[in-house]
Amino acid sequence: MSDEQRATSDGRRPAEFPPGVARPGPVLSRRDFVRLLGASAALAGVYGCSRRPDELILPYVHQPPELTPGVPQYYATAMTLDGLATGLLVESHDGRPTKVEGNPDHPASLGAAGVHEQASVLQLYDPHRSRHVRHGAQQADWDAVARLLAPVALGQRVGARGEGLRLLLEPTASPLTVALLARVRERWPAAGVHVHAPFAAPDDGDALLPLPDLTRADVVLALDADFLASGPFHLRWAHDWAVRRGAGGGPSRLYVVESGFTPTGATADHRLAVRPGELETVAAALLAGVRAARGVTSAPTAPTTADEATTAWLRAAARDLAAAAGRCVVVAGPRQSATVRLLARALNAELGNEGRTMWYVRSPLLGAGDASVGSLADLAAARDVDTLLVLGGNPVYDAPADVDVAGLLRRVPNTVHLGLYEDETARACAWHVPALHYLERWGDARAYDGTASLVQPLVAPLFGGHCADELLALVAGEATPRAHDLLQTHWRGRAGDRASGFDAFWREALRRGVIADSAAPRAASAPVPAVVPPPAAPPRAAAGTLEVVLAPCPKVHDGRFADNAWLQELPEPMTTLTWGNAAQLSPATAARLGVESGDELALGAGGRTVRVPAIVVPGVADGVAVLHAGYGRDGAEETARGVGVRAQGLFPRAARYALAGVTVARTGAHHELALTQPHWRLHGREPVRVVAPGQPVAREDAAGGTRRRALPLYERQPGAPHQWAMTIDLDRCTGCGACMVACQAENNVPVVGPEGVRDGREMHWLRIDRYYADAATDAAAAAPAGPLSVAQPMLCQHCEDAPCEYVCPVEATVHSSDGLNEMVYNRCVGTRFCSNNCPYKVRRFNWFDYNRDLGDVEALQRNPDVTVRERGVMEKCTFCVQRIREAEIRASVEGRTLGPNEVTTACAQACPTRAIVFGSLTGAGSEVARLREDPRAYAVLDELGTEPRVRYLARVRNANPALAASRAPSASEAAT
Amino acid sequence: MTERRPPAPPGDAPTDAPARATPLFPRWANRAMGVAIAVVFVTVLAGPALLMAWVRTPDLRRQYEPVPQPVPFSHPVHVTGLRLDCRYCHATVERAASAGLPSTATCVPCHNETFMQSAVMAPVRASLATGRPVPWRRVNGVPDFVFFSHAAHVKKGVGCESCHGRVDRMAQVYQAEPLSMGWCLGCHRDPAPHLRPRAEITTMGYVAPDTLGAALMRAYAVRRLTDCTTCHR
Repeated sequence: MSDEQRATSDGRRPAEFPPGVARPGPVLSRRDFVRLLGASAALAGVYGCSRRPDELILPYVHQPPELTPGVPQYYATAMTLDGLATGLLVESHDGRPTKVEGNPDHPASLGAAGVHEQASVLQLYDPHRSRHVRHGAQQADWDAVARLLAPVALGQRVGARGEGLRLLLEPTASPLTVALLARVRERWPAAGVHVHAPFAAPDDGDALLPLPDLTRADVVLALDADFLASGPFHLRWAHDWAVRRGAGGGPSRLYVVESGFTPTGATADHRLAVRPGELETVAAALLAGVRAARGVTSAPTAPTTADEATTAWLRAAARDLAAAAGRCVVVAGPRQSATVRLLARALNAELGNEGRTMWYVRSPLLGAGDASVGSLADLAAARDVDTLLVLGGNPVYDAPADVDVAGLLRRVPNTVHLGLYEDETARACAWHVPALHYLERWGDARAYDGTASLVQPLVAPLFGGHCADELLALVAGEATPRAHDLLQTHWRGRAGDRASGFDAFWREALRRGVIADSAAPRAASAPVPAVVPPPAAPPRAAAGTLEVVLAPCPKVHDGRFADNAWLQELPEPMTTLTWGNAAQLSPATAARLGVESGDELALGAGGRTVRVPAIVVPGVADGVAVLHAGYGRDGAEETARGVGVRAQGLFPRAARYALAGVTVARTGAHHELALTQPHWRLHGREPVRVVAPGQPVAREDAAGGTRRRALPLYERQPGAPHQWAMTIDLDRCTGCGACMVACQAENNVPVVGPEGVRDGREMHWLRIDRYYADAATDAAAAAPAGPLSVAQPMLCQHCEDAPCEYVCPVEATVHSSDGLNEMVYNRCVGTRFCSNNCPYKVRRFNWFDYNRDLGDVEALQRNPDVTVRERGVMEKCTFCVQRIREAEIRASVEGRTLGPNEVTTACAQACPTRAIVFGSLTGAGSEVARLREDPRAYAVLDELGTEPRVRYLARVRNANPALAASRAPSASEAAT
Repeated sequence: MTERRPPAPPGDAPTDAPARATPLFPRWANRAMGVAIAVVFVTVLAGPALLMAWVRTPDLRRQYEPVPQPVPFSHPVHVTGLRLDCRYCHATVERAASAGLPSTATCVPCHNETFMQSAVMAPVRASLATGRPVPWRRVNGVPDFVFFSHAAHVKKGVGCESCHGRVDRMAQVYQAEPLSMGWCLGCHRDPAPHLRPRAEITTMGYVAPDTLGAALMRAYAVRRLTDCTTCHR
């Protein structure tokens, strides 16, 4: 249920900020406002004149030798999502984790961290996390849980072999958890183990996962796979793809076939939008096309699709793939049918990619290729269950619509839930045990390729709690299990034969964050079982119905991050929608239904109805609606509650991710969507440029006509040894949003809530603008290939002739000698002249005291190196000046000069594709100086003569000449 | 207005005399008006001026105000008498933003034998027994929007004494300098006279030769840092 619906059902205006979001004070009348204005001015004067308050300094009693107060430390750990790990380095300020970075040694990260990893540190300090063990409505304690699960008591209830015992886990690849589970099954041989997560990585029946080597792929074809921006290994794949894209010998070419519009699709050189029901046919047609192109005589007759343009697209793509045989990759999406994934396997085999660009690894996930591990549906059907342990996950919320989890939980007498929150499932369980956040616990994990890592805590549990490993050990018969001891015992058994001894192994594993040589061996080929041939022509959609796709939200995933205000306020990459979800429709579908963005639709299937606002997104396949999961939460997470619509409610087990024949009707209601990019026209400007491979970007200064010099009111004052600058390569940027969350975490950027976003008051220092090529002006934008879309990270450009600087009446924004456009909070009086005069619209104003009501727990996350701003102050990107100054001081303390590539900003550090490069223009070997001279480099709004220090590298469109309609377009109009 | 009777001037006019037009204000009002205008004028100008002067007074900045500490630690005894180096206790001054206050355990090696059982050491004994820190009171401080690094200053040849004064003579430590932005900028605009060789950082009462500053500027690569973000981030 959205805010508007809440407002009408209670008859009240919704709160301006959802609970848990920093909120402003009460609404004032004008008289009160003026009164308070006078009083506060007088009080501020008095306060400003007050004596410095008494302050205490509390040194350690015994100083830990490794710790210098005020100097942050970094610890290696790993975060798992859907069971698979990404290695991280977490920054800790005097014992409190404040910022997450990627671990350069970890294969799934290579130094980058995605939106979920970046935002996970806010979840640690979430005040809505559960704090007590609960039994029924009573507060209980861990001892009561231990008594409940003690072997004797448990045996009396579940039988000697454990017939009445069931465990429901999230997907996991943790070696310790797997080992403990084996011990549980040894003790209780008849106990059932089930695994559930709505969006876990599937194995193709034989437990093999594709592991493409994208650094060597000249041509990539994605079959509904958002491999650049989602999934457990996407940071690595995005990195590898960018490495090949930027390598010499011309850029690679990316083909994407998909139903919705994803960042991967927007990055593609050629894109085909198809309905989900057509994808099997498309994959089969591609295989036939490739066989035909390679002259395989045994090739079956090429199936064609109903649409001639689609057939031509597929033929061209197939020929391109065949021409790059052995140097190409075909990847299929994880939510596609086994048929599509096996066809992708067959394509890679046919193209000779196996062992060259395509490898396979055994899935490290529990239950991969193991029939003894059941599903959630098996569990729901089980009878005579006495004790059920739900170790993580939220099946009551996210189970398929026809799996009755609530009924199961009512039926089972002893249900124990372990989770961070008292969520929907916790409320349906008799017992709830608070879980530990990964930054609070010991454990281990495996990445997609099998690499093992230890998970080490950075902080003592904030609210108490336990982890799944401890509960499993309890069930296995240990009286007082502690995760640290369990972990050491487990790895002692496996690392004991190492020559250097266990302690050295343990220390090295913790220090590096990766256990050496633990990756699974990769296989050069995978068996291709016979595939049921898909129909030559897919079934046409019944008139008046839609095919509805369920995708994990790029922000809140399956709902587990729904209480994370950073992620809620992060604009969705393609639509810039914040605080909620909507049914994404193509312009043609919307026109056919007669709806506009914000109109509410009732989607119905199988007697279930979901009411959701529509949003028009160019690029979604016609006849398709895309819904993001993870919204419409109803647990104890106050920030999440009531935001968006629970899309999972529509999808039964047999059609978990795509449902055909969904009826659609307008309800007449309208929602004002919280979009961050509501302006739709470019007025002839060209903020994003697209070029063909090898072609330089057109520069105004070369033409010599239009460029002006900005008012040179102040003399430039260079002279510092470093001149800081940034380049952003639009050809590498996928628009995933990791930089935005990284910036928010690093720079104490507040959250304003949906009303604030609707009022245009979001505070992101770095935003990502989304541009679409317009069908009216650009043939490439026409179906089926279009539209082209480019994401552009936009932040303070640090203009050398900055328009903001000469309008500030109090010199609160000035230029530094090292080229920074400085913002001085303690001088700012809030005239907002600077913001009005900024052509890039990157300045943000603190309309309210967003940090005033910061709780004690939430305050712990704030970066102590950055000022927390208060009401009435302008703020904007500082080029992470705290990092620059810190590096300068460190270099001078170490008695050396600072290198030009030594400092990096939070956004550049998080970026998986290294699209953002920061550094000094001076000094030998400066990477940013080299990139500024690239033929693709240009400045946004260069005609204004602002001389920005941020330069963009034009997007390259490596079009296939055979697809004539898809010429390189000029992105002429913005949308959504 | 005719009903209004002006007050009879003292010692004047018989009561039966016809009412004549008298001025609305008495004669002394002229002077009163002048005084009032002067007072307002002075208040408007002088009030803020006085306030601005007041915020610059040592009193408001708590300059020269000795701060009693839970333990009456004597810098003269330890520095002048025992010749302890500042860095024995303020150990992180060369590598961190904060100079650091000694942990309770720092006191123990010397004080195990001396004074440990005396009354003045009670907070130290309590700290060791309970594991809770000794609550020292801050003497020198800058606002939260100022980011100051001891390490950066010490490495560039700014001595302890330059900001903290003759701590070796302070029975109770007080803030010796204003620590205002103007005071900071005085040095940031012209660092040379305030520099000394790194070996003399902790020396109290050091006097640099006149010509040394310029040489140290070059040797330590000292720059005139007046960009706002040098301190405000």
